[in-house]
Amino acid sequence: MKAKDGTDSGVLTRRDFAKHSAVSLAVLGSAAHRLHAGGSDTLKVGVIGCGGRGTGAVTQVLLSTNTPVKLWAMGDLFEDQLLACHQMLDAGAEGRYDRDAFKSLSARMDVPASRRFVGFDAYQGVIDSGVDLVLLTTPPHFRPEHFMAAVKAGKHVFMEKPAAVDPVGIRTVLAAGEVARQKGLSVVAGTQRRHQNHYIDIMKRVGHGAIGDILAGQCYWNMGLAWDPFKVARTAGMSDMEWQCRNWFYTTWLSGDHICEQHVHNLDIMNWGIGTHPVQVMGMGGRQARTGPAYGNVYDHFACEFEYPNGIRVSSMCKQIPGSAYHVCERLVGTEGQTYTDQAVGYVKDRRGNTVYEYDGPNVNPYYQEHRALIESIRQGRALNEAQSVAESTMCAVMGRMSAYTGRALKWDWAMKASKLDLRPGQYAFGTLPLEAVAIPGKTPLI
Amino acid sequence: MDRKTSLEGVSRRDFIKTSALSLVALGVTDKAFAAGSDTVRIGLIGCGGQGTRDVVSCVRSTRGVEIAAMGDLFEDRLQQSLEKLREDVPAAVKVTPGRQFVGFDAYKQVLASDVHMVLLTTPPHWRAQHFQAAVEAGKHVFMEKPAGVDPKQIRSVIETAELAGQKGLSVVAGTQRRHSKKYQETIRRIHDGQIGDIVAAYTYWNGGDMLGYWPWYDKEGRSGMEWQCRSWPWFTWTSGDHIVEQHVHNLDVVNWALQAHPEQCVAMGGRAVRDLGNIYDHFAVEFEYSNGVRVSSQCRQINGCTNRIAERVVGTKGVADVDRGVIMGEKPFQYDGPDPDHYVQEMADLVRSVREGAPINEAKQVAESTMNAIMGRMSAYTGRALKWDWAMKASKLDLSPPKYEFGDLPMRPVAIPGRMPLV
Repeated sequence: MKAKDGTDSGVLTRRDFAKHSAVSLAVLGSAAHRLHAGGSDTLKVGVIGCGGRGTGAVTQVLLSTNTPVKLWAMGDLFEDQLLACHQMLDAGAEGRYDRDAFKSLSARMDVPASRRFVGFDAYQGVIDSGVDLVLLTTPPHFRPEHFMAAVKAGKHVFMEKPAAVDPVGIRTVLAAGEVARQKGLSVVAGTQRRHQNHYIDIMKRVGHGAIGDILAGQCYWNMGLAWDPFKVARTAGMSDMEWQCRNWFYTTWLSGDHICEQHVHNLDIMNWGIGTHPVQVMGMGGRQARTGPAYGNVYDHFACEFEYPNGIRVSSMCKQIPGSAYHVCERLVGTEGQTYTDQAVGYVKDRRGNTVYEYDGPNVNPYYQEHRALIESIRQGRALNEAQSVAESTMCAVMGRMSAYTGRALKWDWAMKASKLDLRPGQYAFGTLPLEAVAIPGKTPLI
Repeated sequence: MDRKTSLEGVSRRDFIKTSALSLVALGVTDKAFAAGSDTVRIGLIGCGGQGTRDVVSCVRSTRGVEIAAMGDLFEDRLQQSLEKLREDVPAAVKVTPGRQFVGFDAYKQVLASDVHMVLLTTPPHWRAQHFQAAVEAGKHVFMEKPAGVDPKQIRSVIETAELAGQKGLSVVAGTQRRHSKKYQETIRRIHDGQIGDIVAAYTYWNGGDMLGYWPWYDKEGRSGMEWQCRSWPWFTWTSGDHIVEQHVHNLDVVNWALQAHPEQCVAMGGRAVRDLGNIYDHFAVEFEYSNGVRVSSQCRQINGCTNRIAERVVGTKGVADVDRGVIMGEKPFQYDGPDPDHYVQEMADLVRSVREGAPINEAKQVAESTMNAIMGRMSAYTGRALKWDWAMKASKLDLSPPKYEFGDLPMRPVAIPGRMPLV
């Protein structure tokens, strides 16, 4: 965790994790175990979206607490994906970037066939199955609809980032966040840096004036290939809709493109540190290496300038190009110095460039910590609600993509209030759905 | 005034007005020059649109400038230029048929003719070679930007700059913002500390696709070499790509304001729309200067997009929008004095320095600004981050064709980041 070059990506060893978990569980031990919903002491969890991230989120919600938690219902668009997830949770698996290795979780699972739901309506089946908490971990496109349905039904929510793929979806998420607030529901988002100790520490210092007034910022997610292109081969008879949904990462209407799906993490730090969202953006981008039909219709690079109030300009870069320079971090520049944060470290430099502070406290795996915070808030009846912050960070990314795709600068207020961009397909059904052409700046209209 | 605006055409009336103003403002004192005569004879190397305009600016910047020799790769381009000069500055044209030179060696013949000063206005690829020959021949120089297209050429220009200094020759570069009163007054205040310590800067040349401004010739009926030389802006080896050819203006302002060059850069880019030649249509670069100061640069040539051509410098006590001559913050400032035509002013400054024997030498600064742009291009083309010291000392990138003669010359493929090697 101490690697300063960022190459470590903040991967915690199991031993580190066990150590730090013990610390925070001890802290938790004093919490009154008051379950807000259901009357039973057991927190019943439903997962909506059983892919890799959904599977990871289930392991985290089940393993981040010593209070009783059960996986109660599962939903996915595809039965094979649901079964594979169930089987993995039942059997245990090796670790990966977003979760530790785990042993069989069968003792904490109670998902009979009657609580396994498949298809475009699966989310409603999970929500109506008697769960207290739902994990919204489908591809981003479906988030607004699922989030609204969950809070309307009075469920607590863990929602993966990003919150949506277009302004219409963002407005739904903000409205649903308000419903959750009124109902006292907890909503935690998968922008897990918000639950990472060194980020919390550095951002608190920024808020207390450690770098003076903020003047500028930079953030980056430059990397190689994130996913194998269209890893699910198109079999005979597979509809356009199924093919795109199974390979959602490379389709803008499903993923929001990588600026939205991935770079949202870093943009979220900018909003957090500056304390508000930008007022306008001017971006550019394209696909120069990931070309050809295997890469759907997403770009492989974006560079955007976000302008915040008081003329503060934040430069953002993101790319997914194999063989290119790796750079994933954030920097805030103020009148008195600057901060640097990445997955592994956080520090503050003064105006002369001397490091005047570096976080050296415990680092708890944030993928677990976010669930620990969520469960704690539910049991204590002190609702956490991160819907607005993740919606706003996602909106930054959506606006950056819109600007790059169209070549036009655009304003936050216009995008929030007037943009009619709505990437939903005509209908959610397995059938014909031509892939939209790759966006061409200067030609793709701004709507 | 930007190049593009210039290309769109300043009206003749505007031009005469500003020229007259600048002569008054300058208080030109044409001191004795070159043993009794104060006539400055200039040679033009590169007779395209910019070279022709530069001659006109030079002639109009002061009294006593004559155009005495011309050279170009192509006879038709030379004659078009000559015709234009005879229309615009007829009294200054002293180019007899014996002082019109054509071909890859035309520059040598111009330098061998009896001129005091040469205007180096060919496509960027030839600048380093011509600059070296000009200085070795003892000529004062006006050199258009950019100074080169690859690190090898930049090293050459910096060496030649040194030689020009030793010989007491004047060298002015076509980064004409350096000769703008508005820019000078704003940057002087930045250097005086009026915006505090500089912590960031932003620079942009987001504009249109340049079709109709930049020459484009069909390949049909021409050798590969002729086609690429005539359509030079669209090929990396001839123009350096638009980040080098055009955006160098803004990058130069940043180096000027920060009084430094960057230490490293990381960039991205591509061609989202363009289908001519092998250059990109957009770049975004982050340059890192000393003490962690980041400069963000965007340049784009795509029609129908938001345009912005600007330079902004952010300090601990204020922000300067240099292009507008505005400082906001503790010591607000708005330049509202005269700002004579920069293209005329740069020539006036050059000719005066020649006449007064007080050389100015801008070769190193334009070489460095060009190097910023070249590094940005190299980073975007390869996908790799790179350091100034490495690029300056160790990069072996050399875009020269195998030989300079009309014949086959396949177009190199468009760069693909992650696959194009960093050399």
